[in-house]
Amino acid sequence: MAGLAAKLATRTGLLLVVVLYTLYAVGPMVWLAAMSLRTTNEINLDHYGLPTVFHWSKYWQAWSTSTYETYFWNSVIVVGASVTVLTLVGSMAAFCLARYRFPGNRIVFLVLFSTILLPPQITIISLFQIMVEYQLFNSRLGLVLVYVGTQLPLTIYLLEGFFRRLPQDLFDAAKVDGYSDFEIFWRIAFPMAAPAIVTTVIVNFILLWNEFLYAVVLITDDKARTLPLGVQKFMGDQFSDIGMIATGAMISILPVIIVYAFFSEKIIQGMTAGAVK
Amino acid sequence: MLWRHMARLGAMALAAFVALSAPAAAQSKEITIWTMGGDQPGWIKWLDAISTNFQKNNPGATVKITYYDKSALLVALRTALRAGQGPDILYTEPDQLEFPDNGYLKALDDIVNWGNMQPWVRGGWTRKGHAWGVPCSAYTNEIYYNKRLMRELGVTIPPNGQLTQAQFIDLIKKAKAAGIEPFSLGTGDRPFTGAYLSFEPMLRKLGPDDYKKLLEGKLSYADPRVVEVLKFTKEIVDLGALPKSVATLSLTDSYAYFFNRRVLMFPQGTWYTQRAFAPPEKGGQPADFEMGIMTYPAMDGGACNECKTLAIGGGYAINADTKNITLASAFLKELGTPEMGTLWVVNNFSQSGIKFDANQVTGPHKAYFQALEQMKDNAKFFIGIPLNFVSGTCREAFVQVINVGLPAGLVTVEDAVKRMNAACYTGG
Amino acid sequence: MAEARIDASPAIHRGGRAIFAGWRRHPWGVIGAFLVPALAFYVALTIYPVLRTLYNSVQQILPRGREKYVGFENYAALVGDPTFWKGILNTAIWAFISPIADVALGLILALCLYARVPLRRFFRVAWFTPVLISYVVVAIMWTWIYNYDWGIVNLGLNAVGLGDWRHSWLGEPRYALGALIFVDIWKWAGFNMIVCLAALHSLPSEVIEASELDNCGWFAKLFFVIIPMIRSTLVALLVLGVIGKMKVFDLVWIMTKGGPMWSTETVSTYVYKRAFEWSTFDLGYPSAIATVWFAVMLALVITITVALRQREKLEY
Repeated sequence: MAGLAAKLATRTGLLLVVVLYTLYAVGPMVWLAAMSLRTTNEINLDHYGLPTVFHWSKYWQAWSTSTYETYFWNSVIVVGASVTVLTLVGSMAAFCLARYRFPGNRIVFLVLFSTILLPPQITIISLFQIMVEYQLFNSRLGLVLVYVGTQLPLTIYLLEGFFRRLPQDLFDAAKVDGYSDFEIFWRIAFPMAAPAIVTTVIVNFILLWNEFLYAVVLITDDKARTLPLGVQKFMGDQFSDIGMIATGAMISILPVIIVYAFFSEKIIQGMTAGAVK
Repeated sequence: MLWRHMARLGAMALAAFVALSAPAAAQSKEITIWTMGGDQPGWIKWLDAISTNFQKNNPGATVKITYYDKSALLVALRTALRAGQGPDILYTEPDQLEFPDNGYLKALDDIVNWGNMQPWVRGGWTRKGHAWGVPCSAYTNEIYYNKRLMRELGVTIPPNGQLTQAQFIDLIKKAKAAGIEPFSLGTGDRPFTGAYLSFEPMLRKLGPDDYKKLLEGKLSYADPRVVEVLKFTKEIVDLGALPKSVATLSLTDSYAYFFNRRVLMFPQGTWYTQRAFAPPEKGGQPADFEMGIMTYPAMDGGACNECKTLAIGGGYAINADTKNITLASAFLKELGTPEMGTLWVVNNFSQSGIKFDANQVTGPHKAYFQALEQMKDNAKFFIGIPLNFVSGTCREAFVQVINVGLPAGLVTVEDAVKRMNAACYTGG
Repeated sequence: MAEARIDASPAIHRGGRAIFAGWRRHPWGVIGAFLVPALAFYVALTIYPVLRTLYNSVQQILPRGREKYVGFENYAALVGDPTFWKGILNTAIWAFISPIADVALGLILALCLYARVPLRRFFRVAWFTPVLISYVVVAIMWTWIYNYDWGIVNLGLNAVGLGDWRHSWLGEPRYALGALIFVDIWKWAGFNMIVCLAALHSLPSEVIEASELDNCGWFAKLFFVIIPMIRSTLVALLVLGVIGKMKVFDLVWIMTKGGPMWSTETVSTYVYKRAFEWSTFDLGYPSAIATVWFAVMLALVITITVALRQREKLEY
């Protein structure tokens, strides 16, 4: 009897911890969402109240009058282009490294892998100089190139492992059937790797959507800004417009949340894939 | 087979390149301006008026103004100018020494009609022998106070606005005893506000020549007079006179702090009214707020107690790499007319470095501006704020130690002296 | 005929021919076509910039193409630069404390879910969300949470009668770094939780009985049974954490910019400041800082790899 009571106590304690942690983990974002629907005046009167009037118009206001639309589409273009190039270029390289044994294969892979660990400070200054010299400064193209460069090692690493696990007989059979190397890649390996590729697409999307340092250094033109830079826009001089900052922040995280809502398992697996041996 | 795929990819890449490239270069008849002030309707109105005049007098020319927040503007200018992609005209401030020092601004000696400027302006924005900007705003450093709370404490400020050192400390103690917070002050997003309570008294104590020497690194911070002033500031801090959140309070929030709580004094430049006279919903003073203005206390043994800081708030400069020098110069000429100076004052409720007619200000604030003009009559001016004189490691030390550290009670006077000397003193 | 001739030639010729024949065996054209795009990006945007940073570090690079070779002057200045050392100290503290804390928290959370609480799939998804939020938004949220006057931390302390414990969390040097580390832990605990959970699920079934959080002895079971079995995962997470924390920039930049009084200055914020926010425009000095940091990271990674490999060897 005592054992059962103790067990019950532990279980309720456990549940309490779990619920409290959930409040702690998710609470700030719920608060942000609530603030995004209230005006700054309402917030200043009561910072933690729930919205009484749901000011959906604020989202429209941020979108149209505060150029969030521009920032959003810039993010879409930059991240979309980067992820596309990353997937194509990365999968080709990963396929090659995984399935062709040639001298230098492991060295190339190791060098690529080790740069995942490089902090951005080592390249940011030179990248700034390079972008300026090639007239790519302040352009979305320049940012795309930089993003591809920075995410390539991780992409190749994630895909290489997957390509490596594909059965060799498949390729041998295809070779016998007269497929060229590129056809083997494009028509057999790539489709088979679809789950891993979807994972890398999602991981790259989330990492690049939130990327800040390279964007803030390489983009100063308001028309080319991406969302993370735009969110800061409302931290203004005259008036700390908390309500609009919250709305802007919500706009920037909503795409990620939506993708997460549909693909939570994929995302979780993808983002932790590197760590789970 | 493989190469066909490659070619296709290459073509797609090229198409993407074209789609993503930066927009085509601007027309040569359009001048670009980067400025702050997008959240101040008065500022926007002022720039629009200048643009209208400019376009009238220069047919075919157009103006494109991009508004940034102040800190974002500085970031953008620093990188864009280095990349050769800056605007034709930029808003800058005299303490942004990196721009003239690195040849990014065009010398305005022959471009501006200096007769239209206040007489001290040219010297106030001279560096390395040339003038670099046309000011829009100018200000002196004062202390604004809540008249009603001052009455509650039973203290009257003399007509010249200045108390003695002892009276000042006494006032602070009185306020604390009555449950009134003596000061509002925020250094969270500005590198100079924290220095008001140390360097304004410093000016009065040292007099303009030694003050300048201190800022230029020729006078040691260990000089007994300097130490006395820093101790005075420390005394104020130790009395708990500053907000607990002074290190993180933003400038904007410090205004709300002043208006919405029982706070007695608010050290600010006279651009205070730019924000304070805005409607209350936009962060301005509440309708029934009684605003008073006083100045920093007279220091014991001070060399120049009637001195005060007069500075250019900011203004407009021409990018040295501009391709539109004639049009840009024409724009600045339109900007630097007494008509525009007065328009600035009328729309923004703060003074201008361009000559202006204070009598043109109408409405409830007329008396304030008249009084402000009168306060100028008996003062001796030191042109420039400390940040106009310091750069590099010295500037960083100034911002961290004097601006944040001292007011927030994070350094002792000895520590401050040591750090500042290490960073700034060059032996004189 | 030909073979006999080859056999007769000296060994070195034989070896050379063998390599050449081996070389010819690989379809270099295809390999090249697959790898060249990736390598082109890599060399142009990673290798070249790294080399250029090394080159920059021995120059003084002022705008308008004024470059001047200054030898090791920058490095000498580095040694005497108190801000640089403060940055290293802060980054080291962060990279040491934060991974331990958030891996520990992740493990605890994983154990909670492993103990089969109801709704665990919901919790798993919910707890992972902070990982996905951009550092910019996280920084803004937490700056508000830490606000002295109306932030929930101080309001909460006031409400439970601990009003004296209120501080300007981001405005006092003593607390600022800790406050930032706390935010970092908030963001990453969910990530570690997922990985630990996967590791726990892959343990053999007898261990399931042992990890049931029943009354006495569960603590011992945890320490002596579970942790040793998932040690490799924990180590991997710690290493990942250390490396990740050494890169942190966004969070610090938006919340404190390295202040107050350099108490949150990290190597990354200092490099950015010197390169893009200093009132001189010299790019040489921050390149020197970046180079030193690169050497430190490299040494760290090599040490860790060697240490881990040794341990694996020992286990066999």
